[in-house]
Amino acid sequence: MEEASRIDEPNRNPNTDRSSNPNPLSSIISSAHVWPTIDGPLGLTEEASVDYARRFYKFGFALLPWLWAVNCFYFWPVLRHSRAFPQIRNYVVRSAIGFSVFTSLLLAWALTFSIGGEQLFGPVWDKLVMYNVADRLGLSGLA
Amino acid sequence: MDRNQQRPRSSILDSLGEELIGILTPVSICMFTVVLLVCLLNSDPSSSSFSSIATAAYSETDSDSPWDKLLGAFLNSLVFVAAITVATFLLVLLFYLRCVTFLKLYMGFSALVVLANLGGEISILLIDRFRFPIDSLTFSILLFNFSVVGVFAVFMSRFSILITQGYLVVIGVLVAYFFTMLPEWTTWVLLVALALYDLAAVLLPVGPLRLLVEMAISRDEDIPALVYEARPVIRDDSRLVQRRVWREQRSNVNDDDVENNVVRAEEEEEQRSEEISVPLIDSSSSSSRPETFLEGIGLGASGAIKLGLGDFIFYSVLVGRAAMYDLMTVYACYLAIIAGLGVTLMLLSVYQKALPALPVSIMLGVVFYFLARLFLEVFVVQCSSNLVMF
Repeated sequence: MEEASRIDEPNRNPNTDRSSNPNPLSSIISSAHVWPTIDGPLGLTEEASVDYARRFYKFGFALLPWLWAVNCFYFWPVLRHSRAFPQIRNYVVRSAIGFSVFTSLLLAWALTFSIGGEQLFGPVWDKLVMYNVADRLGLSGLA
Repeated sequence: MDRNQQRPRSSILDSLGEELIGILTPVSICMFTVVLLVCLLNSDPSSSSFSSIATAAYSETDSDSPWDKLLGAFLNSLVFVAAITVATFLLVLLFYLRCVTFLKLYMGFSALVVLANLGGEISILLIDRFRFPIDSLTFSILLFNFSVVGVFAVFMSRFSILITQGYLVVIGVLVAYFFTMLPEWTTWVLLVALALYDLAAVLLPVGPLRLLVEMAISRDEDIPALVYEARPVIRDDSRLVQRRVWREQRSNVNDDDVENNVVRAEEEEEQRSEEISVPLIDSSSSSSRPETFLEGIGLGASGAIKLGLGDFIFYSVLVGRAAMYDLMTVYACYLAIIAGLGVTLMLLSVYQKALPALPVSIMLGVVFYFLARLFLEVFVVQCSSNLVMF
């Protein structure tokens, strides 16, 4: 049984080892196999996933919590099946923690800013709020 | 094979709906979002501050006569189509010289520019419109995150399918919104001109897009450009639909098992088609920054339908421009474009080669826009003011 690979890498069929076994049993086995990515058979293999998870986790430290969130979303089956992929799970759990910490900090700041408003900040609020900054820098016009 | 005789043969109808929906959904989402942006941001129709290469020859003002406007629109479209032709031939040359890394980097860079620059400007317009009390620090962090992950999604070959598709639709929405800011006559003439250009570039033997597709087929490579690929359909017998056409020699042996279960209409022994690229000129500043988008429709290695991002953009430009008149024209144009896309998909399944996706839809869309504006509106207004219908 052959599985088609992703369009961009036509020569790297992730499961060529399965292609030699065409009987129905293999299709049952493959359907019960847990894939590390959310795309299932269309996604990455386990070996590539470790590499990806590690890279996403490291890049996320460059003030990129959204990358951490994407990491968790992409490797969602790893979080669900807690015993399946120990190496990937390590990075994904740390990404999830990083994402929640960063988001809570950012949210706290943003909510304080928007709800506090002028009363809390005084004249600085007007200087920091986005639509005034955009007007000052001339960003809100087009061209 | 014997074991397949007991199971009912799956027909094209089992997966056809899923595949069509896989392409129609993102196109509809893109069009809907652009219409939403146009309605929300209600830009001043007479604002002429928008300059781009598409208005280089002539900037429309309200005081010109219709003939002047038409002439000016023709000149603008000519300049734009000429620029696109030059850029496409440049792309063909680079692909011929195997500068694939450069093209991929350029693709990533153009995605970054679109997401950060155009995305930032549109978000600022939205914030301005709704007076959303967000501060500049949070905004810049969010924008930075959004654009960098978008570049990852576009640049990396193996990434979450859903997120890549989402980012491609967002890029289409952003560029389309900016194109709706062109003056009105220029927009319509430009759309028709691009439809004709697409037809010529893909079907003529000397057309740049056809050269690109043939080179990609002969080298068994993918063109590095922004293309939307629908998720490959997994049939109910847990095999992916085999439509790998390029490697017929190698895969014939392995495909024997699959052939009996695969739809007769979509044979594996077809030529794999590729999509085509039409670089667009970035219009957010007076300096032109060509970006690599794709126009045209084809089949991918896994059999999933691929639609170029340029198609998304120009469909949405048409609908966005119709939205600037009235929502009635939007409905008419939306139905026309979807019908055109359906016709194109049918032609794709018949001809099995890369086809231009713009001509049929744009022609139908333009015709329906003018019919709706000139005839339908009068009819509907008369009926509703006399309380007959609607």
